[in-house]
Amino acid sequence: MIVTGTIAAERVVEQAGRDRRGTLVFTIGTGCCESTAPFLYEDFWPGPDSEPVGEVAGVVVFAPAYLRALYPGDDGVVIDVEHGLMAESMSIETEYGCRFVLRDRANVLIDRRAQPAREVPESVSALRARGLQELPEALRRGPEPPPTSVTRQSPNSASDVDSGF
Amino acid sequence: MGDAQLFIDGAWVNAQSGETFPTYAPSTGEKIADVAKAGREDARRAVEAARKAFDDGPWSKMSGRERASKLRAAAEIINGRSAEIAEIEARDGGGTIKKAMFADVPGAVSTFQAFADCAENEPDVIERGESPFPPAKSIVRREPFGVCSGIVPWNFPFLMAGWKIGPAIAAGNCVVLKPASFTSLSAIEMVKVLAEADIPPGVVNLITGPGGSAGEELAQHPLVDKVAFTGSTEVGRRIMQLASGTVKKVTLELGGKSANIVLDDADLDLAAAGVLWGTFFHNGQVCESGTRALVSRKIYDEFVGLLVERAAKIVIGDNMDMATDLGPLVAPSQVDTTERYVKLGLDEGAKLLCGGTKPTNLAAGLDQSAYFLPTIFEADNSMKIAREEIFGPVLCVIPFNSDDEAIKIANDSIYGLGGGVWSKNLERAHSVAASMRTGTVWINDYHMITPTQPFGGYKQSGIGRELGDYGYNEYRQIKHVWQNTATDRSGYVHFSALSGNI
Repeated sequence: MIVTGTIAAERVVEQAGRDRRGTLVFTIGTGCCESTAPFLYEDFWPGPDSEPVGEVAGVVVFAPAYLRALYPGDDGVVIDVEHGLMAESMSIETEYGCRFVLRDRANVLIDRRAQPAREVPESVSALRARGLQELPEALRRGPEPPPTSVTRQSPNSASDVDSGF
Repeated sequence: MGDAQLFIDGAWVNAQSGETFPTYAPSTGEKIADVAKAGREDARRAVEAARKAFDDGPWSKMSGRERASKLRAAAEIINGRSAEIAEIEARDGGGTIKKAMFADVPGAVSTFQAFADCAENEPDVIERGESPFPPAKSIVRREPFGVCSGIVPWNFPFLMAGWKIGPAIAAGNCVVLKPASFTSLSAIEMVKVLAEADIPPGVVNLITGPGGSAGEELAQHPLVDKVAFTGSTEVGRRIMQLASGTVKKVTLELGGKSANIVLDDADLDLAAAGVLWGTFFHNGQVCESGTRALVSRKIYDEFVGLLVERAAKIVIGDNMDMATDLGPLVAPSQVDTTERYVKLGLDEGAKLLCGGTKPTNLAAGLDQSAYFLPTIFEADNSMKIAREEIFGPVLCVIPFNSDDEAIKIANDSIYGLGGGVWSKNLERAHSVAASMRTGTVWINDYHMITPTQPFGGYKQSGIGRELGDYGYNEYRQIKHVWQNTATDRSGYVHFSALSGNI
């Protein structure tokens, strides 16, 4: 299984990287209302039989053994983003009013890579203040996230990007 | 329909950010309401309101009988408004009005009635007998956990809200409910009903909005004691991890890829109808759908012929019309997913027997991108379409040679939620049912979930059970009270395990 991401997906991941201070992880899982889908979580343990199958904007994508067995080669699985969709997942991007989805790279009918990237307004991100879940000062991983005009260097950001998109 | 707000501490309020998100009628794509988009801060306020209501309010101190009377009042109010609520449910979620009238709304009524029965009849204090030495008696008290958060999916939003709120408040807990973002409107109606039934402020709170922020908060907030979730397996794993921070009780009802086994001695007429009902009800958007039909080779050709012939008779159209059997899926994105799996099935060599595309003859005004035809594949259990949950109208028919092989195929899944067995030989059917590693097995039936009997999953289909006394007791702590009945030192010899001098 080899998973890549569209440009639009990369931009949403980069936004999440700026908003969250923990380590971001993509996990692909199946079941119920989301079918097989990608989920972007902060500080998530992927599970004992999960292994990396790709990365999107520097965020590692994990998949469990049963899915890797079903997609043994490069089946053209692409993580894309659909706007105006939140469904019921607890994936981080739902905060921005969008949802990561899996697409088939080879199928032009449903390949939305050509879709122009949409901006995620800064105003909708309420994730900067973590309130009750905030770690004690001494235990924090690093400095406070800088202003949004500069992207912090972290494993979650493949490269510097400008504010917004 | 008007705009929809959050319900916190007995008051309807906007999200603190003032933001909203639209909700659409899937059949037409028309926007029907703007819904308050709760953020973390709103979720925290709701949790704090529930905590205050539990710690300081009357609800947790009421007798089970008193609480039961409020639940029965709520059931009556829902009954009285059933047509109106069914319309809201069907319009927002895309399910048929038939489903809303016959399953969702009456199901919620009977759920509240069943948990009212539990509140009245399940004992809060149980005498567990006496110990001879040291002389003592043991009592077990069943007590509410405190604050319970419930996160529910979009396929049965009104019923699922009842499954979460009903047992929680019947047992004396206070609740924060978050419906799925596709379907917030009927949960709002349920909260209105509960307020009308005179359930005190703070006992039931409602948060609408994205799971990435509000949902995360409900799963991890330190003041939440129990989290109940119905939805995707991966989200269930996320909830367990978030809840582990303060070691919360978690119950999960997750995905499935359930097998509906048709033995060679089944009534084929009934079984064919039962397999279609088990798969295509609500377009397969049901976690325990029997999406793998395992069919004996002895009757295979005849049976598959019946399935295909009858699938063509399922009426697709406007979900608000009582004559319609299948409406739209919840959103065009769900159709995209279904199309993707149809292609994957064809790529892997599955034989398409019917369907496989969007319908082409829908009435004007309906959004064709939200519809998909009932689709039947002849497949192998190793294929993606037989292993992954699609959550669309796709049935995989898989042949088998013996009962043992059928059981092996049925259990060859990461899931274990539901399953069916069709046979005229009940002893044989029960033997197969006993070997299936799933939380529910229907014999000569499917989809029948009753509020008085347990429902839940084996393996990666979940933890714990909902409904019935099993489900009710998931919302109650167990406290052992030991009372030493001695009146002098003779009953305290065990102190000498520390010292004879104390």
